[in-house]
Amino acid sequence: MDNETKRFVPAVLLLLCTLGFAAQAADEIKVGGIFDLTGVTSDVGKSYASGVRDGVAWTNGSGGINGKQIKLIEVDYGYKIPEAVAAYKRMVGDDKVVLINGWGTGDTEGLKEFVNKDKVPYISASFSGHLTNPAKTPYNFFVAPSYSDQLRAWLSWVKADAKGKPGNPKVAFMYGDNAYGKSPMEAGRQFCKENGLDLVDEAVLPSPFPDATSQLLNLKAKGAEYAYINVTTTGVSTVLKDAKKLGLTIKFGSNPYGFSEALPAVAKEAAEGVTGVMPDVPFGEDVPGMKRLTDFHAKHHPADTHDALYVRGWTYVLVWTEALKRADKAGPITGESVRAAFETLVNFDLGGLTSNVTYTATDHRPATKTPIYQIKGGKLVKVAEYDMPRKPEWLGQ
Amino acid sequence: MRAGGFHTSYRSDMALFDSPLARRAVWLLFAALACAPLFATSYWLDVLNRICIAVIAAMGLNILTGYTGQISLGNAAFLAVGGYATAAMTNRFEWPFPVVIPLSGLVAALVGMLFGIPSLRLKGLYLAMATLAAHFIVAFASTHWESVTGGVNGIAVPSAHLFGVELGDDRRLFWLFLPLTALLLLFARNLFRTRVGKAFVAIRDQDLSAGVMGVDVFRMKLLSFAVSSFFVGVAGSLLAYQARLISPEYYPISLAIDSLGMIIVGGLGSVLGSVLGAIFVTLLPELLRLGTSALSGSFPGMTELFASIKMGTFGLVLILFLIYEPQGLAASWRRLHAWWRLYPFSS
Repeated sequence: MDNETKRFVPAVLLLLCTLGFAAQAADEIKVGGIFDLTGVTSDVGKSYASGVRDGVAWTNGSGGINGKQIKLIEVDYGYKIPEAVAAYKRMVGDDKVVLINGWGTGDTEGLKEFVNKDKVPYISASFSGHLTNPAKTPYNFFVAPSYSDQLRAWLSWVKADAKGKPGNPKVAFMYGDNAYGKSPMEAGRQFCKENGLDLVDEAVLPSPFPDATSQLLNLKAKGAEYAYINVTTTGVSTVLKDAKKLGLTIKFGSNPYGFSEALPAVAKEAAEGVTGVMPDVPFGEDVPGMKRLTDFHAKHHPADTHDALYVRGWTYVLVWTEALKRADKAGPITGESVRAAFETLVNFDLGGLTSNVTYTATDHRPATKTPIYQIKGGKLVKVAEYDMPRKPEWLGQ
Repeated sequence: MRAGGFHTSYRSDMALFDSPLARRAVWLLFAALACAPLFATSYWLDVLNRICIAVIAAMGLNILTGYTGQISLGNAAFLAVGGYATAAMTNRFEWPFPVVIPLSGLVAALVGMLFGIPSLRLKGLYLAMATLAAHFIVAFASTHWESVTGGVNGIAVPSAHLFGVELGDDRRLFWLFLPLTALLLLFARNLFRTRVGKAFVAIRDQDLSAGVMGVDVFRMKLLSFAVSSFFVGVAGSLLAYQARLISPEYYPISLAIDSLGMIIVGGLGSVLGSVLGAIFVTLLPELLRLGTSALSGSFPGMTELFASIKMGTFGLVLILFLIYEPQGLAASWRRLHAWWRLYPFSS
């Protein structure tokens, strides 16, 4: 060994010693939270994430999971699929979470192979119909009717609204250039064809987009009478304001991430008369399940404003904590046992915050009832509710 | 006691490692890394794999920008080309990875040469704009050529396989990525001991005099684009194998900026610099994340701030390096190394 090597060895040893890190013991239940707090959907992502956060805090404050506390490990992935994949690997590999509360359609569908392999229940805020067939996505769950059923319900409302007028109603779809935007479109096209609605135009909206004038002029040229805007609140507001500027008379509708109390707040009078799919009730609505939310709100942050997205965050926590409780009672909590526990939820009552949910081993479509709300005088008013049956040919679509 | 290194023959002057210790240390490091999958968690293996990919991509860019002096903002585009080539070959023909990875590199090399043609006439900022155009053309194609790329929904990539052995997770992939990275680095190191490599450097230092000395400047520039894009294409292929699902979102322009950041932080025109820069830039956000998540218990707003902290820190680090260490981490290493070798006569 030459001199240099002799000097080298202690240096290496010193380095190795400083690199050692202590492992920590924990008897809490770890749950991952992959949220969008800064990305293109953060306009609605923040509210949802705070709902999940508060739901977890409330659960921990009222007994936890049969006495065990939940630890929510949060990541902001900025609506970027690679970030979500990295966060997922960290949560599953290092943190050993038992389930993940996710967010977007693109990342949830992108992760489904990993989720199947690792057997980690993935409850995501994406209502994509592609996640409802347990034969393909056994570990994916969500809490609402699927995007496809929501669009079918809205199209049913269009049909009812246009009753008595001559000719088929002329419908257009406007959607974001991403997996979330495109998710229900095939179901919508099919539904139009089968139910006597003329789909006259489809406009793709880049994200984010500063204006939608050219797309709207196209819609006008094609003679659209109704249009479904499948982007989040900020984008919907841009479309509505531009439509008002152009003086269009198209009746607009939107999805649960574009339509909530936040829409009249940002789009002001341009939002008047707009309809939307609202699987969850507005915050503060007089339903039995709302009390714990309003109490928590009054106790911890009375000055904040909340919306249906916040309520949605809560409903998610209520559903997966129930599954965790059932899995914990039945034995050790594992991915498989939590999945099995989910599939025991039949008509699980969420106190009116959203429809009761049911999951079975062959069908992960949680709910079928889709309420339609309309903005009247700046307020959200329920105008209809449609029930989309669990047709076997719609499973996974 | 010996202080300093003394070369008494051209052979020792040209050697890959300038002392037996350096060779031993590199082998030791390689062996230690090769053992990493035995005890590292899947998250850290993911980070290690991403470092390997970043090292290859940064090395590729360094060949073009650091050694040949041709600035390129097309790195993300060439990564995409390599990735989509891999997706297409694995999905259509189910070829094993020893065929797919080099072919993906070759496809990227061809595309790189195509976009390298303007380099005959364009220099500096103008070439940067031309390669930026390459980025947007590839980005457009990857979004709209749906039959090949799957559009915005992306395309799934089956796991890398050979003779029925599947490299399905980061643990197994690392045993492919690590030797491949080492091999490519060795290739790059040797490249600059050959006539071609020295021609690249001559073009960087002064293209006119390189031409006068008998270097076919255009051919060499194209070759540099090809070799560089080959490296980046291989990195893209590995990225596709690791991500298992690729979409245009995987190749934002910020990825090209990151690659440039890596070679600036690491050191332009240095193999070691590419490695150190890639490690530094890949680890920086991970360490920041560990920091912010440790703090998020006492400061709940930290998770939300992470994205801005990450961007801000990256910018700050880049500026600080440009001011205080323009030669990059490789220069710091050289200084440290000189101090070590000249001890006790170093200051």
